Amino acid sequence: MNRNRKVAIALIFLFGLHLAIFCAGFVAPYDPAAQNRDFPYAPPTRIHFFDARGFHFRPFVYELAANPDGLYQYDEARERDYPVHFFVSGPEYKFAGLISTHLHLFGVDAPAQVFLAGTDNYGRDQLSRILYGGQMSLAAGLLATGISLSLALIIGCVSGFYGSWIDESLMRLAELFLVLPWLYLLLAVRAFLPLHISPAETFFLLIAVIGTIGWARPARLIRGIVLSAKARKYVLASRSFGASDLHILRRHVLPHTYGVLLTQAALLVPQYIVAEVTLSFFGLGLSEPAPSWGSLLANLQQYNVMISYWWMFAPALALVLVSFGYLSVANAFHEWLQSGSM
Amino acid sequence: MRYLERRFVHGVLLLISVSIFCFLLSELAPGSFFDEMRLNPQISPETVAALRVQYGLDRPLPARYAYWVKSVVHGEWGYSFAYNSPVRGLLLQRARNTLALTGVAMALAWLLAIPIGVWTASLPGKPVDRLSMAGTSFLLAVPEIVLLLGFLYFVVRTHILPVGGMVSVDFDDLGLGAKILDVVRHLIVPATVLVFASLPILVRHVRASMIEILGSPFIEAARGHGISPARILFRYALPAAANPLISLFGLSVAGLLSGSLLVEVMTGWPGLGPLLLEASMSRDLYVVVGVVMASTSFMVLGNLLADVMLVVADPRVRTD
Amino acid sequence: MDRWGRITAIVLTGIVTSFASPAPQPPQRGEELLITNNEVGHYGGTLTVAQRSEPKTLNPVTAADAPSREVIGELNADLIHINRASQKTEPALAKSWNVSKDGRVFTLKLRRGLRFSDGHAFDADDVVFSFQLYLDEKIHSPQRDLLIIGDNPITVQKIDQYTVRFTLAQPYAAAERIFDGLAMLPRHLLDQGYKEGKFGQTWTLGTTPNQIAGMGAFRVKEYAAGQKIVLERNPYYWKADHNKNRLPYLDEVVFLFVGNEDSQVIRFQAGDTGVISRLSAENYLLLSKDASSRGIQLADLGPSLEYNFLVFNQNDLKGKNLDKIASAQAWFEDLHFRQAVSSAIDREGIVKLVYAGRGAPLWGNVSPSNKFWVDQSLAHPPRSLDHARELLKSAGFSWRGDGQLIDRQGRAVEFSIITSSSNAQRTKMATIIQDDLSKVGMNVHVVPLEFRGLLDRVFQSYDYEVAIMGLGGGDADPNPEMNVWLSSGGTHLWHLGETKPATDWESQLDQLMKKQMVTLKYKDRKNLYDEVQQIIAGEDPFVFLATPDILVGAKTNLANFQPAILEPTALWNVEELYYASPGGSRAGGRP
Repeated sequence: MNRNRKVAIALIFLFGLHLAIFCAGFVAPYDPAAQNRDFPYAPPTRIHFFDARGFHFRPFVYELAANPDGLYQYDEARERDYPVHFFVSGPEYKFAGLISTHLHLFGVDAPAQVFLAGTDNYGRDQLSRILYGGQMSLAAGLLATGISLSLALIIGCVSGFYGSWIDESLMRLAELFLVLPWLYLLLAVRAFLPLHISPAETFFLLIAVIGTIGWARPARLIRGIVLSAKARKYVLASRSFGASDLHILRRHVLPHTYGVLLTQAALLVPQYIVAEVTLSFFGLGLSEPAPSWGSLLANLQQYNVMISYWWMFAPALALVLVSFGYLSVANAFHEWLQSGSM
Repeated sequence: MRYLERRFVHGVLLLISVSIFCFLLSELAPGSFFDEMRLNPQISPETVAALRVQYGLDRPLPARYAYWVKSVVHGEWGYSFAYNSPVRGLLLQRARNTLALTGVAMALAWLLAIPIGVWTASLPGKPVDRLSMAGTSFLLAVPEIVLLLGFLYFVVRTHILPVGGMVSVDFDDLGLGAKILDVVRHLIVPATVLVFASLPILVRHVRASMIEILGSPFIEAARGHGISPARILFRYALPAAANPLISLFGLSVAGLLSGSLLVEVMTGWPGLGPLLLEASMSRDLYVVVGVVMASTSFMVLGNLLADVMLVVADPRVRTD
Repeated sequence: MDRWGRITAIVLTGIVTSFASPAPQPPQRGEELLITNNEVGHYGGTLTVAQRSEPKTLNPVTAADAPSREVIGELNADLIHINRASQKTEPALAKSWNVSKDGRVFTLKLRRGLRFSDGHAFDADDVVFSFQLYLDEKIHSPQRDLLIIGDNPITVQKIDQYTVRFTLAQPYAAAERIFDGLAMLPRHLLDQGYKEGKFGQTWTLGTTPNQIAGMGAFRVKEYAAGQKIVLERNPYYWKADHNKNRLPYLDEVVFLFVGNEDSQVIRFQAGDTGVISRLSAENYLLLSKDASSRGIQLADLGPSLEYNFLVFNQNDLKGKNLDKIASAQAWFEDLHFRQAVSSAIDREGIVKLVYAGRGAPLWGNVSPSNKFWVDQSLAHPPRSLDHARELLKSAGFSWRGDGQLIDRQGRAVEFSIITSSSNAQRTKMATIIQDDLSKVGMNVHVVPLEFRGLLDRVFQSYDYEVAIMGLGGGDADPNPEMNVWLSSGGTHLWHLGETKPATDWESQLDQLMKKQMVTLKYKDRKNLYDEVQQIIAGEDPFVFLATPDILVGAKTNLANFQPAILEPTALWNVEELYYASPGGSRAGGRP
């Protein structure tokens, strides 16, 4: 398959995922914080096409009733079909944070509920939480990557371009950052934060801290590129024409870094998303009721949840898909650049 | 030689900066070790305050740092409030366990990565290579945490392997052979996850490095001479491709004490990971500093080792 | 058998017996054993118990953390013991005692002829020495404060070799209960270290076992760092069953360090451990699914004595830079506001979702299972959002168009609830409460904090608005609660550091608590404590939430298993436990 096509396919896949998550409010049938206290740990609602009267094109579900014998056991009430409708009116949400609307991709009439990915401890719809959580997790990854790469670019350029003691000290600093125990740092920062910033702000601040720690490795790469670009003949020529440092950087050095930046971005985003998941495992993640993939997966730390409620693994699938998407893009970029440059 | 000396001195400076950084961080995090007692209505605040004084927690930061340095020089490496004993014993014990795990995982990963990388590099584009690339892509995409959860789920469901800890309950009654087998059985889950997490990158690097070398003229010449493919791969190409691999090896060594925190905590392997986590949570200051310094030392050592090996292996570097 | 054969046999026997657990010593003449009335069992077997974290020390005087105390409890004995099942005191190392008329002087008669686990004799000198350690101001034992009554430490006086007299500065209700848990220590082993001022470093985990001795049912055999500690039978233990068999029946008790509750459950399910206590409801459910096929018995002992609650920050914030919290305090200090919050909370929902139904809602600090002290006449108002809204209206609150609650000055009612991130149950409660309070228009943030960060804010910096915490559970008697309800108390969480009571009802509480502390008759004390409970329920300084049931499990073939609500729930009668079926010996006894 030719290289350009690979890049295109990977990008389209990734774009599709992001679109679904961006439109979380539309795709998700319920409010992610809505608790259904009568249905904790309900398994994914079964979609049926056949009933006593035969085959139906339109899928339908049955209403759930709690089984009085066992805790967290549910039976389907087979008396009545509840067909799944598309483009329905449901709980209100703000599309893109701006437009208030009631329109959802699919849903069923009350009192039945369609939990495509089951419910959690409080009876909250997992599919909705995965979609909304994706917004947080992706934003976290993108934000941290942005911060890392911006820092890396600046520091790498300055270090590679100016050399001598600036370079030495910046690279020493980079080593220090590479070696730091970031978990402990985060624990400290978390405990130190004032209470009055909202939980969402706390979360993003933590992500910003991760991003700030992670500049070291890409900075080294960028520095390498700057060093080799600096040595090129046309840079020497440009200087002899009296070009300023900034001009040289902008016109002759920077363009060489784009390739690395893109590839690094595609590699770092999933890494930082995973960092958020790890944070949530240690209780440092987003707080209730806002979902993020990390806090959803953190439920699996409880042995009984892992064993008994397999649908709680669903966010792992989403995570793997996103990681896979980004890595394909990174690979594709890398190959594309290898063929294009040099 | 001068180069290595410089790197060594620089490593020591790095260690010192990390230790200072740790102490600074500890200032930021509120709460101290004895706060837990405040929650017990039967212990008075005065007792808690007195205990803080007794353990020197009320002294200013430079004083505590000086105490720690002195303690390191004496070989104690600080004092643990929780365990009421010098950090050294704790650290050595746990480090031993961590190294057992990561050492095995690292050895396995390299032992697998080199043959696979070399083999797929020699057959680029063929089904074997494609399978390997797909496999490594998949493993790269799956985060360590998901791998771990998946494994744990599988193991717990099927009861094939023990979950948690390093040894079984009746370890002491087993004979030597059975003891080793017991530890190995407990090692399988955490080690496998670690191997799966590091294998893809290693394979790719070996492969990439080999492919680059295999395209060079001297390999073509060797082929022209009729030397067998196997010899070409392992006796001619691999040594030439070794440079980046040596650096990578150094990085592997560097990560021996720090890369397994998550795995250890989640599988209950009694290594440095759970120790660091518990000490961080309970503000057992000197234990935290001790563990961080231990992993940092390994990092510095690993990098230094990589530099030494590079100098020994590649004559071109020596002229620097 | 030939000479070499005999020598080999002797050597082998020596090796084997040195590894085997010591057999109990036959009762000696003059030894005043305590005769128990449990079902007679037989000797043998190892009980393995999993702990969530490692014990830190074996020193009874300095130990403060729960895992250390759990192990120490097996190694030591006290003078007077609280029977965990009946919750009443009974003789232990002291065979009898009498109390002076004014309730201040206790004269205890020790059992004669007892020995420590290393064979050394036990007498009043050891008792006096032990109390010296507990009361020593330089050692800072966490137990020291228990022994300070009426601002004066208890005085200890040796009357003769087997009699000790304790004098309190003022009468103290249920004073015998003080003695429970105070381990009697061997003077012959610790005297040296104490004189040299090194007592704090003695009896750490790494100490060689033969340097440690106690009066408990077991003694230390070996310790593997980070993994387990093995205890073996104390051959000189001073209890015997009514057939004169010296207890304990078990050969060994092994404490395994597994890291967290889930690992405990996994090990228990796999048959590695013999008992498990303080199960969460979900794990209880999980274990009960195949309990009988795995030879496991589970028990739900009813509500624990612990109480979980919301506390509003009503501390004095002058001089601290906490303006936003100070303005929120205007709401917290309004009784109707607190009552409204209490009325809006779905306690049944909490019991259902957090404890999977195995728990009890609470409206006061005394759990319904505390039969001796709970005030049965306390009201248990059901949840009512309407009632909450009425209360808020009467306090001058109103609602904006979007449903947000605002106060008289038009400020939106918004605050954060902090919880310990390591306590999943309380964090879940916070999530439920957040949802409940949103229905009356309050905007609540849940902020799980790392435990020590939480403690720092609640006890030091007062930088918090509302917190969910848990207290209680130690003993059924009201006295341990003194520091919570006394205005000067160290755990008077809603308003710490009061030099005098800030409100009338707090000064009433002070008087009542101080009075019940010196009232010796149970009936009178109960009336006083009932009044205390009524005041607390009426003034709502804490909004009480719920308490979990105590859930325990053990192997079916572990006989004499009688779990109790008080800690140590499963092991309080460890000396009486034995394995009923002969197959149940090694490794926790697989069925």
